[in-house]
Amino acid sequence: MCDCKDEKIRALDEVLDSYGHDSGNLIGILQKTQDIYGYLPADIIYYVAQQTGISPAKVLGVATFYTQFRLEPVGKYLIMLCKGTACHVNGSDRIEAAVTAELGIQNGETTKDGLFTLKNVACLGCCSLSPVMMINEETFGSLTPDKAISILNDFRKREEETA
Amino acid sequence: MSDIKITINGKECIGQSGETILKIAQDNGIFIPTLCHDDSVAHYGACGVCLVEGEGLPKLMRSCSTVAADGWVVSSETPRVLQARKVALELLMSDHDGDCKGPCSLTCPAGTDCMAYVKAISKGDYHEAVRIIKEKFPLPASIGHVCPHPCEDECRRQYVEQPISIAYLKRFAGMKDLEKDTWKPEVLADTGKKVAVIGGGPAGLTAAYFLKIKGHDVTIYDAMPQMGGMLRYGIPQYRLPKSVVDAEVEEIRALGVNMLNNVKVGKDITFEEIRKTHDATIIAIGAWTSSKVGCAGEDTEGVVGGIDFLRGIILGNPMDIGENVAIVGGGNTAMDACRSSVRLGAKKVYVIYRRTRNEMPADDEEISEAIEEGVEFKFLTNPAEIISENGHVKEVKLQVMELGEPDASGRRSPVPVEGKFEYIKVDTVIAAIGQKVNPDGFDVELNKKGIICADETTFRTNLEDVFAVGDATNKGAGIAIAAIGEANKAADVVDSYLNGEIIPYKKPFVSIRRDLEKVKAELSLREKAPRAVVPKRPAEERKNDFNDIVINLSEEDVMKEASRCLECGCHDYEDCKLIKCANCQEICPERLAGQYHPGFVEEKLVVIERNQNKCILCNLCVRVCDEVAGKGILGLVGRGFTTIIKPEFNDPAMIAGCKDCLKCAEACPTGSLKILTK
Amino acid sequence: MRVIVGQGSCGIAAGAGKVYNALEKLMNDQDSFKLGITGCIGMCFLEPIVDIYEGEDLKARLVHVSENDADAIVNAVRNNDIASLSGLFIKDEDKSFLDQQTRIALRNCGIIDPTDINSYKARDGYKALEKVLKMTPEEVIEEVKTSGIGGRGGAGFPTWFKWNAARSSKGEEKYLICNADEGDPGAFMDRAVIESDPHNLIEGMLIGAYAIGAKEAIVYVRAEYPLAIIRLDNAIKQAKEAGLIGENILGSGFSCNIRYMAGAGAFVCGEETALIESLEGKRGMPRLKPPFPAVAGYKMKPSNINNVETFANIAWIINNGGEAFAAMGTEGSKGTKVFAVTGKVVRGGLVEIPMGQTLRHVIFDIAGGIRDGKQIKAVQMGGPSGGCIPERLLDTVIDYKALSATGAIMGSGGMVVMDENTCMVGMAKFFLDFTSKESCGKCVHCRIGTRRMLEILTNIVEGKGKEGDIELLEELCLSIKDGALCGLGQTAPNPVLTTIKYFRDEYEAHIKEHKCPSKECRDLLSYVINPDKCKGCTLCARKCPVQAISGETKQPHTIDQSKCIRCGQCIQGCKFDAISIE
Repeated sequence: MCDCKDEKIRALDEVLDSYGHDSGNLIGILQKTQDIYGYLPADIIYYVAQQTGISPAKVLGVATFYTQFRLEPVGKYLIMLCKGTACHVNGSDRIEAAVTAELGIQNGETTKDGLFTLKNVACLGCCSLSPVMMINEETFGSLTPDKAISILNDFRKREEETA
Repeated sequence: MSDIKITINGKECIGQSGETILKIAQDNGIFIPTLCHDDSVAHYGACGVCLVEGEGLPKLMRSCSTVAADGWVVSSETPRVLQARKVALELLMSDHDGDCKGPCSLTCPAGTDCMAYVKAISKGDYHEAVRIIKEKFPLPASIGHVCPHPCEDECRRQYVEQPISIAYLKRFAGMKDLEKDTWKPEVLADTGKKVAVIGGGPAGLTAAYFLKIKGHDVTIYDAMPQMGGMLRYGIPQYRLPKSVVDAEVEEIRALGVNMLNNVKVGKDITFEEIRKTHDATIIAIGAWTSSKVGCAGEDTEGVVGGIDFLRGIILGNPMDIGENVAIVGGGNTAMDACRSSVRLGAKKVYVIYRRTRNEMPADDEEISEAIEEGVEFKFLTNPAEIISENGHVKEVKLQVMELGEPDASGRRSPVPVEGKFEYIKVDTVIAAIGQKVNPDGFDVELNKKGIICADETTFRTNLEDVFAVGDATNKGAGIAIAAIGEANKAADVVDSYLNGEIIPYKKPFVSIRRDLEKVKAELSLREKAPRAVVPKRPAEERKNDFNDIVINLSEEDVMKEASRCLECGCHDYEDCKLIKCANCQEICPERLAGQYHPGFVEEKLVVIERNQNKCILCNLCVRVCDEVAGKGILGLVGRGFTTIIKPEFNDPAMIAGCKDCLKCAEACPTGSLKILTK
Repeated sequence: MRVIVGQGSCGIAAGAGKVYNALEKLMNDQDSFKLGITGCIGMCFLEPIVDIYEGEDLKARLVHVSENDADAIVNAVRNNDIASLSGLFIKDEDKSFLDQQTRIALRNCGIIDPTDINSYKARDGYKALEKVLKMTPEEVIEEVKTSGIGGRGGAGFPTWFKWNAARSSKGEEKYLICNADEGDPGAFMDRAVIESDPHNLIEGMLIGAYAIGAKEAIVYVRAEYPLAIIRLDNAIKQAKEAGLIGENILGSGFSCNIRYMAGAGAFVCGEETALIESLEGKRGMPRLKPPFPAVAGYKMKPSNINNVETFANIAWIINNGGEAFAAMGTEGSKGTKVFAVTGKVVRGGLVEIPMGQTLRHVIFDIAGGIRDGKQIKAVQMGGPSGGCIPERLLDTVIDYKALSATGAIMGSGGMVVMDENTCMVGMAKFFLDFTSKESCGKCVHCRIGTRRMLEILTNIVEGKGKEGDIELLEELCLSIKDGALCGLGQTAPNPVLTTIKYFRDEYEAHIKEHKCPSKECRDLLSYVINPDKCKGCTLCARKCPVQAISGETKQPHTIDQSKCIRCGQCIQGCKFDAISIE
């Protein structure tokens, strides 16, 4: 009787316990929930609402207010393309053009193979290395369109090798 | 709590310490507009409409939430406040994707609330329908018979399949209501002011009706033996039986309007005399002179003006037209003339028109009916000469035309094909190419075309006490409902003039959906229900008499047709705070037109219909649901410009709770939330 | 000897983690030197940076170190032959970047190990707290008042005043909040402080909490700063273990707990009332003021909010006296300010200098001027709330009032330098794109107003601008400033107003001539190959990410304008100068 879903719910229950099922901690709870599920599934939003005593409308309100939260699953690699001022001045638009052309997706979309999701983000705080993008936890700086594409190709290669 | 004194808009106000500026203003009878504030919930400060400026205070303040301090001097009407409020309202309207009024009503020159009366008709409530129509004019049955219904041209139902048969519905309701207990307006107490209306046509009757209701002593002076103007003398019986006009005129007379017939100004009474004996005068004399054909031989015996010809028939002495008749022109008068000629027994009736059927201004249905009745259309021809024999018309020489480049009106203009002519043998030529005003006897300023000049917002002539409306003014002859629209507005202006201060007509600002493609896309998904066909008597039968050609629909069919209405206009127009605020000051949202926030219509949320397109995110519904109803069903979703309000239910108890509440819809300042009839 | 690898986010992004791992791999038990980390020294343009210390003496600072240099470094240290690394030594002119600074808030950054409380304590860490606990709260506030420090988050509101207001507010339950939601794109000093010197922040907060009488202090930190969160979490744990956080701190009877909460991505949460809403687990939508947080803030209790840099100065002020702080700066702006200098400068990074110096000094003397020999056009200060200051006003001194007079603001210290190739209309559009996306959506002026401004600006940069657009923008700007509910909306028009004020000709060129004078607006330019110069080397065709370039080998190539995304790859690659922008 131990399938994956139950494990996740158990992990979520632990999170809820650690936050005392307190409505004031909703953002922290949702962050941990997203860590567990990779995104915020609709039924889980209802579950969190029920467990914290917050109405589902309000939980959804919080989940859709902050850009960190996702209501849809994302690709294996989340590309966060910095659109901060320094990156803008140093040509982040061109990086975006190259990445969207290469992957065939726009901001917020996921490639058909489920590998990449592109997300434009406000400043990552690595302004001196601008333009910058972050793929999962890894930061890549001083990008050119060329370099950005070759980084994507590296990830693809990595995938092929492991497959 | 202690008393504090503040000054708002120059008025000293007493309030309690801890009270907001808005509260103190309201308690002291000062109106500060606001959209997102409601006393039942905590203040929120979203709309930015209630801003005020305080003397010596650097920032504008939201009066809904700013607690007043003793001695403050604030104003809600400084240039800075008005500017910020104007932009707030323009921004709101630029993002408010809704129609205040249906396009039918907006198109109607008289502004008739078509949607409302069609809805009343759909319930079989003809009395109510007539009441609604009579808010704008007193002749529903007559106009229902003859109106070329611009409303139907704009009816959105055409994007589903076909427009609603608005004009026929009006005719039906008008006739039904005349049968018994006709709806009657309330007449206000006598003001002691006297108004003369010169001309008893649709415009004159309308002006007289509204001024009488307002309590003025109104007299109509008309040159003809009976009231009704062109409705009576310009439109054949088969389209509008005169008994209908009679009945509606009698309704007006019964209100106490004095009606004097056979009085021609300049002959039977002088204009000066009328002015001297009345506090105000309205000229509504129409355009009763036919334009001439404009070719050699136009004055030959046997050539007659269209309206003169029609009038002769009504007066009971139709002219002898012989066997072959040619009508020149392509408008509705031409249709009336040709079809009347058929009915008078002509063997061959031609309509000479210099463009093609596509360009004809006449109703397409009328053209079809004329063809059914045997009329022959000579398209792309123009009279070059009227040839006579023994001083009487014998033949018309027709110049053959072709269509050239489009002119200013967008219609392709006809150009003669050089040297190409045709001849038709005729006994009578009827010129139905236009009407002119005959201003003889009226000492008022005329324009270059000899038409009476009237101001477009006050309808005033160059004389202070003289107003003019309808075909006799400015652009000249038009359709009846246009003249009626002017008369209705002029009645208000004249009333204000009689009350001491003239208030010009101002077109109210309304919200209109800009994105017609989006509207069409929405409507294309609707279930289809074809337009009711109003049957006509067979051509072979009807062409022999002047009786009404229409065979009436059953009540059942009428109600079904009326229920096709999409109700494009807003259910909340009368109570909408947004549109009230938008009309408080001059705004121009078009300059800020841009994308709309994402929106859709949720048709059934338990007992509420939620139209996101109209939502202004004041958040009142959410706050009322939280704070007053204590339910928390609604919430904001998303952020910034793309935020919407959404309900989330997760158990039946919540849905049950929603059912009896309705507080959200009651709090909504716009028409975004609609209570569905239980 | 100690080999210290700079491990701030920038350093790690530049490869410092790999350098550290490579060094660690090469070390063995016999090695007498120690490998350690430090935070961010602020010389981002030189990352990764490795410092070699002999005791407390900095023997060498190695820059642009790669993992391939690890061997050489380990050998040099083992053989005590640092000179062999001279190829990696920092250049003298780059040293001047630091030498010209006066560091107070950043005093430990890049020097101490941010993961070790003892490293902080060794540099007078927590001495100020000890001192404060023997003072009365009023005396502490007085000292802060003497220093003249104003809020470093942007507005410069006197810190003592806020502390005093919170202290004077009735109620037992009070909160001290640190705003570490550093949202201004282009500013990263707060991140650097948390990553590099978290105990300095904690000490400043404890002092503040003592002064206002708060028993709980919360850091609201940006979610996009994962490393800062890790280091802060670690530092809080260490301070708790050391009895510096919790009950009866250092036996003084004063108790204060500190916790943190990670934001979730909303710029508006930098606005203090929105931040409070977010702390309470709600949507970060600003509240109406009054009541001010000092009266009714977090959980509707008296609360005081300061930003990271403000707190980072507090311990120094207590240790050195308010007067020492006030001795620096101008009449109205005391002490130092940290700037994140980025953009088209030679040396980008963190610069802390006394107020009163000129912008020109910062950009040219410290940051080394403009890259690639180009001309400076303007400097953007204050992020989305600020404005662009043109070259001719670069002698403006750094002072709250003087900067505001230009139409920009001091802001949190982002200083983005732009050269002749930066389109100022594009800049304005960039910021409105930002603010319209970050608008919480509550008030009409901001929600729809910024959106409409963005639409107008987008039309202009796409060559679809209309006569009257500039005036309409100006009108909207003024009304939005007047009508918006919170600071975000009220300041959102600033980038537009300043660019119109100083660069109206650029707007007009876009609208009237459909030209972008800076050759940046993609819809207004096209890349063209000069057939006379093109040798048909095919390099550009291969580089083009969208296959817009075609041509036979050794024949002139052409660009399909309908496919071209104007990424500029071709022009960068061409060795024959055959591609130009029209």
